[in-house]
Amino acid sequence: MSDLAAPMKTSAPLSGVLAKALLSPFWLRVALLAVVLALLEFYGRVYADPAFMSPPSLIVKAFFTKIAPQEKILEALWFCVAQISAAYALSVVFGVLIGLAIGATAFSRTAFLPIILLLFAIPQVALLPLVILLFGLGPAAKIAFGFSHGVFPIIMNVVAGMRDVKELHLRAARSMGASRMETIRHIILPHAVPSLFTGLRLGMTMTLLGVILAELYVSTGGIGYYTRVFAESYDPAPLFALTGCLAIIAVTFNELVRIAQNHLTPGKRRSPTLKIPVKE
Amino acid sequence: MSDTAISIRNITQRYGAADESSAVLALDDVSLDIKKGEFLCLLGPSGCGKSTLLNIVGGLFKPTSGTCLVNGRPVDGEPHPDKVAFVFQESTLFPWYTIIENFRIALKFQGIAQAEWDDRAMRALKAVGMASFAGHYPEQLSVGMRQRVNMARGICVETDILLMDEPFAALDEQTRMVLGEDLSQLLAATGKTIVFVTHSLAEAVFLSDRIVVMSARPGRIKTIINVNEPHPRSPDFMLEPRFSELRNECYALLRDEIRAAMAAQRDPQPQNAGA
Amino acid sequence: MERSSFATRSVQFAFLALVAGAWFLATETGSISALFLPRPLSVYAALERLVQTASFWSAVLVTLTTIAKAFAIAIIAGILVGYAVTRSKLATQVIEPVIAGLFTVPITLFFPMFILFFGIGTGSKVAYGATYAFFPIALNTIAAFSNMEQRYLSAARSMGASSFDTFRHVLLPGALPVLITGMRIGFFICFASVLGGETISSVAGIGRNIAHSAELMESARMYAWICFVILTSVTLNLMVYSFENHIRSR
Ligand SMILES: Nc1ncnc2c1ncn2[C@@H]1O[C@H](COP(=O)(O)OP(=O)(O)OP(=O)(O)O)[C@@H](O)[C@H]1O
Ligand SMILES: [Mg+2]
Repeated sequence: MSDLAAPMKTSAPLSGVLAKALLSPFWLRVALLAVVLALLEFYGRVYADPAFMSPPSLIVKAFFTKIAPQEKILEALWFCVAQISAAYALSVVFGVLIGLAIGATAFSRTAFLPIILLLFAIPQVALLPLVILLFGLGPAAKIAFGFSHGVFPIIMNVVAGMRDVKELHLRAARSMGASRMETIRHIILPHAVPSLFTGLRLGMTMTLLGVILAELYVSTGGIGYYTRVFAESYDPAPLFALTGCLAIIAVTFNELVRIAQNHLTPGKRRSPTLKIPVKE
Repeated sequence: MSDTAISIRNITQRYGAADESSAVLALDDVSLDIKKGEFLCLLGPSGCGKSTLLNIVGGLFKPTSGTCLVNGRPVDGEPHPDKVAFVFQESTLFPWYTIIENFRIALKFQGIAQAEWDDRAMRALKAVGMASFAGHYPEQLSVGMRQRVNMARGICVETDILLMDEPFAALDEQTRMVLGEDLSQLLAATGKTIVFVTHSLAEAVFLSDRIVVMSARPGRIKTIINVNEPHPRSPDFMLEPRFSELRNECYALLRDEIRAAMAAQRDPQPQNAGA
Repeated sequence: MERSSFATRSVQFAFLALVAGAWFLATETGSISALFLPRPLSVYAALERLVQTASFWSAVLVTLTTIAKAFAIAIIAGILVGYAVTRSKLATQVIEPVIAGLFTVPITLFFPMFILFFGIGTGSKVAYGATYAFFPIALNTIAAFSNMEQRYLSAARSMGASSFDTFRHVLLPGALPVLITGMRIGFFICFASVLGGETISSVAGIGRNIAHSAELMESARMYAWICFVILTSVTLNLMVYSFENHIRSR
């Protein structure tokens, strides 16, 4: 296919190059986004009931008139960011440590991995009211809930990464005289890095989920309070704007992990593709 | 013990318990002496236990019975990285390290002082013409380049004995021959003892001082063929009638074994019938 | 997974025993308030009382129908969209990253909008659960149909297979395992998100009941509900697991 396309590029110089650039997946995605926004704008202005739906332009306006000037809302958003950071930091530290401990030997893996899988199979939302009861309405509950979501994918992917180390690499290291510690340090851990990052990215998605679930559940303060107020007053523009802020926060956090992954994976190896945790 | 580098005594290797139906008798009472500075090839049908034998000599595991002495000392299932280096069937360069880091780590594992690492690594890389790729990751090299580097890593640890398990299997014919010449020169220059597993008859004849032809499973030594030709060998050796005679001799020996192995696969009999 | 031995089984058993023992001890010695952690026996008694009430079964029914509707919508939409996208290579390149990227943002963010659009009743939960489950199903459908190696398709065509034959005998069997994985992931996401939606804001269903007993500080009843959910989900996991094994081994 690409062989066939190659001579065409030379025969149609400028317009061909331009068309190729514009037809690249990236720009097509940008175009797709623009079309969706335009349609929303059109629908929002012409047809939609203003009590339920706002055109994007009004949402942006609402951000500057109704969200940005309100210190309390900004504070709630910052709190949200802080909680996500704290919950994620805890998830990473404990996830990696527990993962390393479980992945260290075949015995610990067979003994403890099923327990982790069992815990992971529990739908944690069922515990949300309990977590709030235990930790109160403040940030502690949200951090705890974010942590309990984020930690499992990290543990599971660290264990999986350590387990899937190549037998041939282990044998080569042994023939070179590597000690057990050296094997872990130079073979098993570097091998687990891509899988670790898969875990870190999933962990981030799950931490975001946990914190936001808890935020929305507690409707007497924080983000949950404002979403309720906006929703109940049939004032969709600021609700959409607030949601947009949270979405931007979520995307930023995800991107940070992705950038870290791209810079910190040695040997330019690709991570196993991002998949949502599969319960085996 | 003076001029014997490796002494293999009555080695038998069985995978799985003797009474299990899935048990495989890979090696059956193999004995062999390998002289210092000798280039010895193991030739045999696939699955006859060549890798197994090499792994036992390298101390990667203990045989079911029998002993193996390296420089007069029993191996006993423990690798001796100061005496024996391994080059495996596939490239075992670690993908998370650059080429030079791969060499450093091998030297570190072996316990060499850090001051020597880069010197030795670059010398070995130059020997295979890969010095300019020291900073690359293995994935950035072609398969052939990777295997050349992999071989160089086995050389840079500077052991007396080098065990090579089909190191050129992934390469094209021409590259194989060129690397074979390099290896022959290396042998002449350093006096290393090399045990080399291959499926290529030409390679075996071109490189070896002695060719050990093994029988189909269970692996036994069928014949040992001497190739009297000093190292380093030039490509002209391949044009001599002696070369094709030896090659044909090996082929005749192997053909029977491979036919036997294929017949055994067609109507399998209990593996451990005789044992 | 590796074979488990007696020793590893003992470790797992010890862990469960430890949790149960700690629960017993903490409540019997009164070192933790019954409000936070009621005694196991009172939870059991509450569960027994609960399953005898009609409101329990109506709550379960509400949740189950919500999940069923949401899951059905997600399967139909996910497979249709996923398959349609894979019909063009360019569409796959453009759209797959969009779906995958959106999926890394918690859809929960938009939950208030679902309430706004569909009200506080089951409609919003159906829409929310369906949206959440749509993503893994669509993504796996795309993966299933776009990873099919061209040489298999060429081989089938060279043997004279019609396009329906190709779909029936090459494309579908190759895609099925991945499709099933997508549906399984989608199902559990659907389950959890419907439950979550009910917990956050609703008037009926299991999630609502858990939240309601928490608001009333009726811990024993809340724990009874939680235990019910955990048992259900573990059972469902085991059922789905064996179902999947059954399909694969055919
Ligand atoms: N770890 C193992 N467990 C069980 N059986 C094994 C194991 N390793 C090798 N075998 C069996 O032992 C026999 C010899 O294997 P080996 O790898 O030594 O053969 P080989 O001569 O190197 O073959 P090839 O030329 O294909 O590399 C084979 O039949 C193989 O099935
Ligand atoms: Mg072999």
